[in-house]
Amino acid sequence: MINILPGIESTSAALQAERVRMAVASQNIAHANTTRGIDGKPYQRQSVVFESVMAKTEASFNGVSPQKVQVSRIEKDTSGPRMIYNPSHPDADNAGMVAMPNINIHQEMADMIVSSRAYEANLAVVRNARSMALQTLNIGKR
Amino acid sequence: MIDAIFNQPTYQTARAMMDVTALRFEAISSNLANVETPNYKRLDVSPAFESALKDAISSGEPNRLIGMRPSLEIDSRATANARDGNSVTLEDELMAMNQTTLEHQLETQAISSSLLKLRMAITGRAA
Repeated sequence: MINILPGIESTSAALQAERVRMAVASQNIAHANTTRGIDGKPYQRQSVVFESVMAKTEASFNGVSPQKVQVSRIEKDTSGPRMIYNPSHPDADNAGMVAMPNINIHQEMADMIVSSRAYEANLAVVRNARSMALQTLNIGKR
Repeated sequence: MIDAIFNQPTYQTARAMMDVTALRFEAISSNLANVETPNYKRLDVSPAFESALKDAISSGEPNRLIGMRPSLEIDSRATANARDGNSVTLEDELMAMNQTTLEHQLETQAISSSLLKLRMAITGRAA
């Protein structure tokens, strides 16, 4: 297949990866108050790890080739739960302390904004690649 | 023999530059894709190639441009940030991308106008 949009391979991979990150951030926010997960313990924060992989393009025949990005794994944050005092909570221990998930909403919101900005940047690449391809197709026309 | 009519310096130069522009765009899209990847190092068209292209263009011999193949390399001038070792700056990349798109526009127009002049020379009619 001809590669009519330059660099589109890494961009589409990045869009997918950013979507995964957004999904994980929204999952964390949704579970900010889940004291009893499927394993009976408080929910643990999850984070996405990105890695780059070589993209196969014509450019790779000499020099460094462009790189795609992909989600290599989704890690659990193993830091301890946030303890709050709430004796009336059904999951409170004998001292009245409840183990809440180790999630900081502000951090998740910041991550989400970074993720959506990166998504926008990649969409801008798609727009520019498209306009470049259209111009190339118009060579020789008036 | 027919090759000779496509050997004008403007046409050959614009063609060679368009290859570079397309490759630079690929580098920029790779950089923007990896804007959040730890330890990713920014790519760009190799400076050695850029200076070789400049020499070839200023020499005024279009034939020197034909065999030139641009290549990418890790941009050694970009500094990695301390947080995650990534050397991509979002703003710089977006600026470079828009500049590359405009350069591409310039090159397509240069090619179109040089083809248009050829057509004018062949048919004797303007446009």
